[in-house]
Amino acid sequence: MSKDLSTWLDTLLNELQGIEVRRRSSRRIRVDVQPDALPALLELLRGRASYVHLSAISCVDWIDEGEFELVYHVWSYEIGSLVSAHTRIARDPGVYISVYDIYTPAAFFERDIHEMFGVFFEGSPDMSRFILTEWDGPPPMRKDFDSEAWVNAHFDFQDYQPDWLQEIEAKGGGVAVRPDEQRFSRRDLDAS
Amino acid sequence: MRPENYEAQRQPPSHEYELNIGPNHPGIEGNYAFKLRLHGDTVLEGKADAGYLHRGFEKLMEGRLWIQNLAITPRICVPDPVPMEVSYVLAVEELCGLEVPERAQWLRVLQLELSRIAAHLFTFGGHAATTGMYSTMFWGMADRDLVLDLFEELTGGRVYHIYNIPGGVRRDIPDGFLDRVKRTLDYLESRLPDYDNLLFTNQVFVQRAKGVGTMSREQALEWGVTGPNLRATGLKFDVRRDDPYLVYEDLEFEIPSEEAGDAWARTLVRRKELVESIRIARQVVAALPKIRGTIRCPIPNPLAWSVPAGSAYTRVESSKGELAWYVVSNGGERPYRTHVRGPSQMHAVQVLEKLSVGARLEDIAQTMFSLDACPPEVDR
Amino acid sequence: MRDIDYKDKGGVLNPLKNLSFFGRKAVTVPLEPRPASANYRGFHLNDWETCIGCSTCQKVCDNAAITMVRIPDLPEDPVQGIRNLRPAIDYGRCCWCALCVDLCPTGSISLSREYVHTCLDSELDSYFVLPDAKGIHGTPYPKGWAKSEDADLVALERERMEELEPAERIGHFQEIVAGYDSNQAIIEASRCVQCGMCFDACPTHMNAPEYIRAIWKGDPEQAVREIYRTNPFAHTCGRVCTHRCEDACSVGHRGTPIAIRWLKRYAMDAVDHERVKAIAAEGKARFLSGKRVAVVGAGPAGLTAAFDLIKQGHEVTVLEAQAKAGGMVRYGIPDYRMPPDRIDRDVDVITSLGVKIQYQTRVGKDVTMAELERDYDAVILTIGLWMGRSTRIPGSDSPRVKRAVTLLRDVADQVKVSIPASVIVIGGGNVAMDVARTVARLQKQTFGAVKVTVTALEDLEHFLADPQEIKEAREEGIEILDARGPQEILFKPRKYEVDKVHGLRTWRVLSIFDDQGRFAPRYDEADEQIHEGEMVIEAIGQAAEVDLLGEDLTERLEWMRGRLKVDGQGRTNLPWLWAAGDMVLGPDVVSAVADGHRVAASINTYLSIQEDAA
Repeated sequence: MSKDLSTWLDTLLNELQGIEVRRRSSRRIRVDVQPDALPALLELLRGRASYVHLSAISCVDWIDEGEFELVYHVWSYEIGSLVSAHTRIARDPGVYISVYDIYTPAAFFERDIHEMFGVFFEGSPDMSRFILTEWDGPPPMRKDFDSEAWVNAHFDFQDYQPDWLQEIEAKGGGVAVRPDEQRFSRRDLDAS
Repeated sequence: MRPENYEAQRQPPSHEYELNIGPNHPGIEGNYAFKLRLHGDTVLEGKADAGYLHRGFEKLMEGRLWIQNLAITPRICVPDPVPMEVSYVLAVEELCGLEVPERAQWLRVLQLELSRIAAHLFTFGGHAATTGMYSTMFWGMADRDLVLDLFEELTGGRVYHIYNIPGGVRRDIPDGFLDRVKRTLDYLESRLPDYDNLLFTNQVFVQRAKGVGTMSREQALEWGVTGPNLRATGLKFDVRRDDPYLVYEDLEFEIPSEEAGDAWARTLVRRKELVESIRIARQVVAALPKIRGTIRCPIPNPLAWSVPAGSAYTRVESSKGELAWYVVSNGGERPYRTHVRGPSQMHAVQVLEKLSVGARLEDIAQTMFSLDACPPEVDR
Repeated sequence: MRDIDYKDKGGVLNPLKNLSFFGRKAVTVPLEPRPASANYRGFHLNDWETCIGCSTCQKVCDNAAITMVRIPDLPEDPVQGIRNLRPAIDYGRCCWCALCVDLCPTGSISLSREYVHTCLDSELDSYFVLPDAKGIHGTPYPKGWAKSEDADLVALERERMEELEPAERIGHFQEIVAGYDSNQAIIEASRCVQCGMCFDACPTHMNAPEYIRAIWKGDPEQAVREIYRTNPFAHTCGRVCTHRCEDACSVGHRGTPIAIRWLKRYAMDAVDHERVKAIAAEGKARFLSGKRVAVVGAGPAGLTAAFDLIKQGHEVTVLEAQAKAGGMVRYGIPDYRMPPDRIDRDVDVITSLGVKIQYQTRVGKDVTMAELERDYDAVILTIGLWMGRSTRIPGSDSPRVKRAVTLLRDVADQVKVSIPASVIVIGGGNVAMDVARTVARLQKQTFGAVKVTVTALEDLEHFLADPQEIKEAREEGIEILDARGPQEILFKPRKYEVDKVHGLRTWRVLSIFDDQGRFAPRYDEADEQIHEGEMVIEAIGQAAEVDLLGEDLTERLEWMRGRLKVDGQGRTNLPWLWAAGDMVLGPDVVSAVADGHRVAASINTYLSIQEDAA
């Protein structure tokens, strides 16, 4: 049974035009596919090769390239392998097609990606807010959203004045390097 | 006490009404809300509402060094932290091509199974409490603490272990540790008849749990159900066996399953898994003295660690189901993107919503606990 | 394996089973405090004696929970790599991951076996703690998670560098160490914890953390850029620097310090010379100030000053007595440590910026100081230490008694030097080692065997030469005798026109300095030795050849104990004259470079003020 299915899978992956297949291990296959061909690929994987389980949809914001990468991880219980289908869509306007009609779990992931990255999935059952109900800022997982700056702008930090510090300050010492002034603080680590 | 902005609203007369359970409610796991539309006692529609525990971990991790993220990973799901750690480090290891020493792999399995035991003991208590039986919860918490004692000794932390590190684990086992593991396992096993007596064969519980939140295998597959919840519908699928990682291929264990697909079947699968986890842990305890060598392969200076560009999707079987990290590196010192796929992202949202339609109000809490839904996994 | 029998519904008596629980002990948790397990990650303990304030804990802290606090009572010593900073922990942020423990270079931080800290809202200050060895509550809970071998994340071992074996290196002047390849360099660089102790210790404050970081990122060009910010003698310092950075390195407290010098050398060798020139020229002024500066002596100090001044838009002329530039580096350091083609590169970078060097122009003879004063807006004296000092013991005025600097210069200049089959060197510093090892190579080439004896006043514990040099010299067959005071040079009975040296008579040294710290050696006259040798080389120190200044100028200048008196910026008492380098500071390449920068900055200010006034 599963042997037939993997033959099916091979035929399928060989026949499809415009996709790039990389077998990374016996149970991991990476497929790069154009956005317009992805729903068809998933449909075929599910319908013809038993990839019935949508494990996750991941979104990556490649801001420098102006693209969102969407990765659909689908698993076949019968073949025992995971296909990760990668596709890239334009960051602006960031609209794509829902695969809810193929995989029911897509509803959660698409809603999540819409909320965190601002990608709109046409045909997804519910694109309303879920986690960030009262959030009024930009989609926070986008690379151009600086959460640290936002936090610094919106929260006050506890300011400590313990006795020991006052004693040291009286002797001429005191706070020398704050965490954010560290020579290679997380902010300028990549800049160098 | 009423909130300051409270205003009583007059509703037109109706047979339908709305009810919010949570975000703070004993019938809800964690900080999570479930909005129900009811007709009498019958649920017409349920809507999950998350976000009360959103910590932005995925965003936070993009700003930290690869190794600094170790401290975040266990915090995603508190009752069962080890699978989070392990799958994250597995992803980093896959990206870096690190060879993890065998001893470290066995130690990871030991942690994973101890963590599964602790998590299941926790869940039984919660589930029993939703049916009004609190003793199981007290017992479960007390016995779980014995496992946490082992974790404290092995990892230095009771709940947030931060023990796994890309390339291996952080320390070797302390002297006499395996004996104490053995003793605790023996004790836990000796407690099982008590638990059976108290909960699993207790007709009060059995009658209450049977037929609640039933789903068929087809539904489970369609809804993306995984883990014990999937096995309770008769599909013997377990990532540990069917997509093996670490040294699970070398271990002997059964995959318990049930056919009914209801709250009772799910709990029963967990109860049987407890036995299997004890069995696996015993195999590790027996094998560890023979597996010598280092517990960590050499890794670069954490401050200087750039991980080669690429992406990895690593799945493990947590106590709740399929757990995976999708980790992307652009060759930098920090992850470019991390995405966690928690089993509860399905169980606590869509599956719970679907199972609640037509259910009775008093079964909602039980359904949620029987799915072992962990809201922190949804919120991240 | 026990399985569940859930089909057993029991009977009416089933509940009676639970009567057994009356006989069981309830689960109780004792209330009194107990220490946690042996590896517990509790509150921080910090051994202030071991802590060096390097701030690595702060760097690796996940949650930015660590603040470095300056404590004035504690010692601060950049040379030894000790800062008076200590970490203070904000327990409102700490997540107890213990990475601070695992990455601590010295192992001073550990976590205690204490579970609980809590307080009222009004006492939140108690969450900000400056831990010492007693911990958060002053009650010494035992150590929990502490430094251990398996959890240590500091790479203590230095990446090995290939070098020639003693037998392979003795017969010629080829460089001994091979240098890192890119792979080795990245591994070595990645050991660095970026504490910046090296930066503090370096006389010219090189941005070592930055260039090490650039190397581990695989970007040697960026490393070269960082190097040239503070040091135009990059090839030179990458090979023969006295590397105080490595002495201060925080990793060196428990392991081998990062090979900072070799990493610099790697970066310089890895980048194409033309690229180096382009990088060095970055930031050069696009205007000309119209001011002219003369530099006397093309050594590290002079050329560094020239490098800075030309980049600031001034016109610089360097006057060099020898045929080639490089000063003491070229003429004082043997080729097996400092290959001449690398000095050529350093000099080429500097001249490519427009610095003019007039070779074989001896000030005082070819051109006078008075002319320089007249023709230039400022003059820098960087004439080095070219005059070897003499022991002035009987016989030391013989022509068969040589001075180390002279001999080394002759070898570097490829003047034919005749070396006898046995030689005695007096002195225990690096110059003594250089000359001994040079002589050894010449002997090997001529006679096929080495016979060099080094006698030093100091005992081995207080030797002035680098331990590495001593080790290598011994490997090459050089005999090193410590605590020997030279008394007389012995000659063979006079048969020829020239005296023939027979040997050196020494006494054992009891002490070198008197109570006031003045040089006054005491000897044990009973312990007398005669060392045989046909040539004696004195390597006991050098002085500046200041007679080139001329009588008039010497009169006008202020002196202190035979050295030219300068202020902190290298200015003499004459407004147009500066002095820098070995002649002011004593011999050290990197200090000379630092001095060159200092003087150049001072001159630039001086010239700018002149500009404004005019």
